[in-house]
Amino acid sequence: MNVMITGAAGGLGRTFANECARRGYNLFLTDINEEGLLCLKRGLERQFDVVVTKAACDLTDAENVDRMLDMIDKYEIRFDMLLNIAGLDYEGGFMERDREKLVKIVSLNNAATLRITHAVFKRRRTCRPFTIVFVSSLASMFPMPLKATYAATKRFLLDFAVSLRHELKNENVNILTLCPGGMVTTNETMCSIRAQGFWGNVTTNPLEFVARKTIDHALTGKNIYVPGKLNQVLSFLSKIIPRSWAAALIYMRWHHVQSKWMKNNSANTAELQQDAT
Amino acid sequence: MLGAGLDTSREMTQEVKMKTILITGASSGIGLETARTLIRQGYSVIGVARSEANCDRAKEMILSDNPNAKIIFFMADLMQQREVVRVAEEITLYLNEKCSGELYALINNAGCVRSWYMTTDEGYEQQFALNHLAGFLLTHKLLPALIKAQGRVIMTGSESHKGIKVRWDNIMLSRRYNPLTAYKQSKLCNILFAKGLNDRYAAAGIRAYVVDPGLVNTDIGSKETGALVNFIWSVRKRYGVPPSVPAKTYEFLCEQKFPPDGLYYYFCKEKNYSKQVTSQNADRLFELSERLCDIRYEKV
Repeated sequence: MNVMITGAAGGLGRTFANECARRGYNLFLTDINEEGLLCLKRGLERQFDVVVTKAACDLTDAENVDRMLDMIDKYEIRFDMLLNIAGLDYEGGFMERDREKLVKIVSLNNAATLRITHAVFKRRRTCRPFTIVFVSSLASMFPMPLKATYAATKRFLLDFAVSLRHELKNENVNILTLCPGGMVTTNETMCSIRAQGFWGNVTTNPLEFVARKTIDHALTGKNIYVPGKLNQVLSFLSKIIPRSWAAALIYMRWHHVQSKWMKNNSANTAELQQDAT
Repeated sequence: MLGAGLDTSREMTQEVKMKTILITGASSGIGLETARTLIRQGYSVIGVARSEANCDRAKEMILSDNPNAKIIFFMADLMQQREVVRVAEEITLYLNEKCSGELYALINNAGCVRSWYMTTDEGYEQQFALNHLAGFLLTHKLLPALIKAQGRVIMTGSESHKGIKVRWDNIMLSRRYNPLTAYKQSKLCNILFAKGLNDRYAAAGIRAYVVDPGLVNTDIGSKETGALVNFIWSVRKRYGVPPSVPAKTYEFLCEQKFPPDGLYYYFCKEKNYSKQVTSQNADRLFELSERLCDIRYEKV
């Protein structure tokens, strides 16, 4: 099995790469972080007997992606699975964020995901099933004030994936959309989950569990995977609660969490600046 | 005659020369208190820690005890292997320049607790990577300096290494992660590492030990952990002894003129360790860790 993983050097990407390598899959890893890719490739090759290929690439840059595809074609690499992990978010309300950073969320989470999905699907191994995983989020189920752009990009992925699944239903393709709650992928996400207190803890999904179950479900042709019982209840509620009510509730919660988190963060930054002087 | 005279004068300078001890995780908790204790005993100390702010604070505290203290800090996030390799190179240069290439003791003390499965840049589980692999790799890089000084390697272990076996089939516990299991296993690895080092290098004059610090009032359980671990630790640590108590055991192991024969020490006394600590398991851990660090401990 040949698997391409985007965003492989991040916390979630690394966990998926580990899970795939443990299953004996050969890996093609891409990420914008070249050094991270190199470290991960080394780590995987030392642990598992699999072939690991890497290519640093900014997926939001079409030329950059073309160069990577040329390399893939040159070595005639063909794929059985694509894990679309690359994605990003920045904390803070819409008007408080940098304009170009906001646009970057959409260009990576959506435009780049379309670009790579199209390209890799064209390079599938013939006569074998092909599997695609999109990483959406529990946030895709609700309108999310203060995380509006991020949540909307995740909604895009959910709707797109469900539609694509039908478009390609006769092509021997499995398409799974993963909609997790919070996951502890970095120290920053851990701080953010801590700031969310009780709700942060109970909606957090263990990374290694999510990675394993996602691959299992994708291979058996499941459509949408929401890990965790509580998250499944929340996902059900999203279908019956009026969207404006949900938005009001979520605003109240995130307003509190973000101000707490931003305050902690600015306190840390102030402390560091003070130490530096 | 001339040659003999030179040798004698070299021996004399060696006697008055300060011995150098390297401590990882030296900016807080047990590491900091051990650094202070050893400096009071007249050692020169090299500290390694992750944050510049904490290093500065620790250095200030040590210098306020004793303005003539010989202390230098190197910054490194030892969880990441490239950082271990980089800092080991910097320290080797420093040792060659200032300490005639000799390291009298290496205290692999840096450690962490995690609430969730998290990985390093290599994709290694973080508790295993920092608590065991970092020390394993750093010790290998500093081996020439340790051999030159007939030095000692001391690991910060824990009584929690008992009642558990190493999960050889998945040492990173990526299938069913339990934070406490990961911690206990990493501490069992510490003592297996010490055992394996003694098997390989006792003949070359190096001795390795593990210190059980007991329950100590430090912040290990509240750094980058979840709310539950944080809460449990904040209650539990109140019953702990201050870090100056275990620091005495490190001091004891460094101060003995002839290296003691034991492996596992608590309150300056030998203590029984798990039955899992065998040469066979140590060899197995060496083989696995060598592969994960891409190094080779040569047998002497």
